[in-house]
Amino acid sequence: MFSEAETEERYSRQIRFAPIGPRGQRRLGEASVLVVGAGALGASLAQHMVRAGVGRMRLVDRDFVELSNLHRQTLFDEEDAEAALPKAVAAAAKLRRANGRARIEAFVADVDKHNVEALVADTDLVLDGTDNAATRLLLSDACFSRGIPLVYGGVAGSAGMSALLVPGDHCCLRCLLGTEDASDVDETAQTCDTLGVISPAVEWVAALQASEALKLLTDNRAALRGTWVMLDVWNFAIKEWKLPPAVDSCPYCGWGERETAVMDRYSAAGVGGAALYRDGERDGRQTDDDPEAGAPVLLCGRDTFQLKLDPSVSLEEWKRLLLAAGCTITADNRYLVRALTVEGERIVVFAEGRSLIQGAGEADRVMTIYRHYLRGENRRDTVEKSDRV
Amino acid sequence: MKSPIEFKLYVITGENYHPGRNMLEVIESALRGGADIVQLRDKISSKRELVEKAKRLKDLTARYGVPLIVNDHPDVALAADADGVHLGQEDMPISVAREILGPKRIVGLSTHRIEQARAAEWEGADYIGVGPVFPTATKPGRQAVTTAYVSQAAADIRIPCVAIGGITENNADEVLKAGARRLCAVSAIVGHDDPEAVCRRLLEKIEAWNSKTPKFEEGLNRTGAPEIRVVINGRNERTQAATLLELAAQYKLESRNIVAELDGEVVPRRLWGETSVRGGCAVEFVHFVGGG
Repeated sequence: MFSEAETEERYSRQIRFAPIGPRGQRRLGEASVLVVGAGALGASLAQHMVRAGVGRMRLVDRDFVELSNLHRQTLFDEEDAEAALPKAVAAAAKLRRANGRARIEAFVADVDKHNVEALVADTDLVLDGTDNAATRLLLSDACFSRGIPLVYGGVAGSAGMSALLVPGDHCCLRCLLGTEDASDVDETAQTCDTLGVISPAVEWVAALQASEALKLLTDNRAALRGTWVMLDVWNFAIKEWKLPPAVDSCPYCGWGERETAVMDRYSAAGVGGAALYRDGERDGRQTDDDPEAGAPVLLCGRDTFQLKLDPSVSLEEWKRLLLAAGCTITADNRYLVRALTVEGERIVVFAEGRSLIQGAGEADRVMTIYRHYLRGENRRDTVEKSDRV
Repeated sequence: MKSPIEFKLYVITGENYHPGRNMLEVIESALRGGADIVQLRDKISSKRELVEKAKRLKDLTARYGVPLIVNDHPDVALAADADGVHLGQEDMPISVAREILGPKRIVGLSTHRIEQARAAEWEGADYIGVGPVFPTATKPGRQAVTTAYVSQAAADIRIPCVAIGGITENNADEVLKAGARRLCAVSAIVGHDDPEAVCRRLLEKIEAWNSKTPKFEEGLNRTGAPEIRVVINGRNERTQAATLLELAAQYKLESRNIVAELDGEVVPRRLWGETSVRGGCAVEFVHFVGGG
C-alpha cells in the first residue's frame, strides 16, 4: 500500500496547482471513470486519468495493436504490435506500471447496446475515445439516462472537436446531431481512415477533454468551458461555440416521454456486469440471441468488418478450425488468434466470440470468408453447387 | 426562357501580354486548364481581322464545348457565330444588343457600382462583370472597386456575377472570400508561361471556396419570400430560408452529421426547424468529426 507521504510526493506538483490542491487530489482518488476506446484519443485520455490519480478506471476497446497505430497511439510499442495485443490489455499493462495504485479494469469488447449500461454503471464521468458516431450516440443515451457527464472528442486530419456534455446543463449528443437511430448515422464523414491523422491533433483534443475531466472531477465546475471547441493544429485555428441547454422534449436530456429507457431495455434482457470479460476471462458469458448476430458490420472506413461468432467456441478450437481450413496463424495470445487466409485476408478472432475480417473489400466476400473459414461450410457449399449444376 | 449561363473561370484574350506566342495556342492552353468561357477582346484590330480571329476562336472553343463572347461588337459576334457579346457602360444598351442578337445569345455587361449591377439585372443581362476589383493595366485610370463591391454584388444580384480586374493567383482567395463564385483574369492567365497550370490552380481555389458554402439549391427557393443576407461559414450569402432547417436544406446538409451554430451558440439539430434565421445573422455548419 502507499502511504500518505507517497501520495503527497507523487502528486505534489498537481496539488500545488491551486484549483486542484489537496482537496481536488482527494476527489480524484475517489473518482471512477470509464474511458471508451483505447486508440489514439482513448489511450491518451486513459494515461491522463491514471497518472493524475483517478482512483478507478474502466477501459474498453474492441481492437488490437497494429504497426499503423504506433505513430499516434503513444502508449503502445512495437512489441505490442508484434504480439497483436488487444489495445485495452496493452494500455492497462502500461498504465499499471505508471501508477500502481490506480484500479484499472480492462475490457476487450465492442461497446454495444447489451453492455453499455454495465460499462457506464457507477462511474462519475465517461471519456469518449471512440472512432465512430454510432457508439458515441449509444454512450450519450446511457450517460444522459443516468446523469453521467460525457466528454466527447473527435479528431481527423489535423483538426478536432471536443465538448463536455453535462446532463442537466446541456443537451445530449443525440439532440445535437439529430440522429434518431444508428441507421441515420453518417459514418462516411471525417475519420482518421479517410483523412489520415497526425499525432499533435490527437493530443490537443485529448488535452482539452482531459482538462475538462479534471475540472469536473475536482469540483471546479465554474471553470468548465460549457462550449463546443473546434481546432486545427496545422492551420492554427480554434473556435468555441456555447453549448445549448437540454431540449425539453428529448427523452434523454429533457423530460420527454421515454418509451423504453436504454437501461430498461437491456436490463430486462438479463444483461448485467457479468456479461463482460475482464482481461480476457472467459466466465460469465451470455449467449447472444441478438438477431443482428452474424451480420457483418463495417467498422468505419478501414476495410475491416466485425462479425459476431458463437461464443461457446474456445480460442483453441478456433485456432484448430482456422488451421484446418488452410490459414496461417500470425498471432496467438490469450485474448485473440490472428490468421492469414489462403487468399490473403486477415481474420482476427477474439476470445469473447467476435471476429474482425480485414482486407476483404466488400461484405459479400466477408460472408464467403465467414462461411468458409469460420463456419466450416465450404464442403457443403461445394456439394450444393455441384448438385445444382 | 433560356437557362442561366453557368461558368466558373472566365478568360479574356490579351495579345499584348504574350508577344511572340500565338493567341489560339495560349487560349487552348487555358481551355485545357479548365477555363469555361472565353472572350475575344481586341481594341486594335480592324473589323475584318476581328471577324477572322473570332471565327478561329469559335472553332477552338466549340471543340471544348465552351461559349465564346465577343467584346463590344454584336455584328462580329453574329458573323463568327459566337455565343454572345460583352458590353461596357458606354456601349449600346442591352436592349439594342438583344434586338440584334436575338433571345438565345448571351449579353454580358461590365459594372462598377451596385446601381449599375441592379440596372443590368433589370434590363436582362445574362451576367455582369464586377470590377475592376484591383487596379489593372487592362483598364488604366479606372478606380478599383475593391472587394466591398464584390460582396455587395454577391449579396444583391441574382444573375451570375464574375469578379474581374487585377485578379491573380495571389489575391484570388481574397476575392472568393468576399463572396465571388466566378473569377475572370486576363494577364494572370494569358501573360503566364503556362496558362493551363494557372487555370487549374485558380479553379481549385474557386472549387474550394464553393464547396465551403455548397451550391445554392435554386429549386428550394420559396418564391415570393423575402431575401435576407446572412453570413454562412464566413461568407456573405443570400437566402429566402426562414429557419435553420430550410437553410441547411438549401445546402443539402439536412441529412448529414452536421453541427450548426447560430451567432455563437450551437443549435441542437432537433430545433433547426423552429429556429428562425434573421437578416445579418452568422451561421456555421461543420461536419461532426468522428475519428478517434
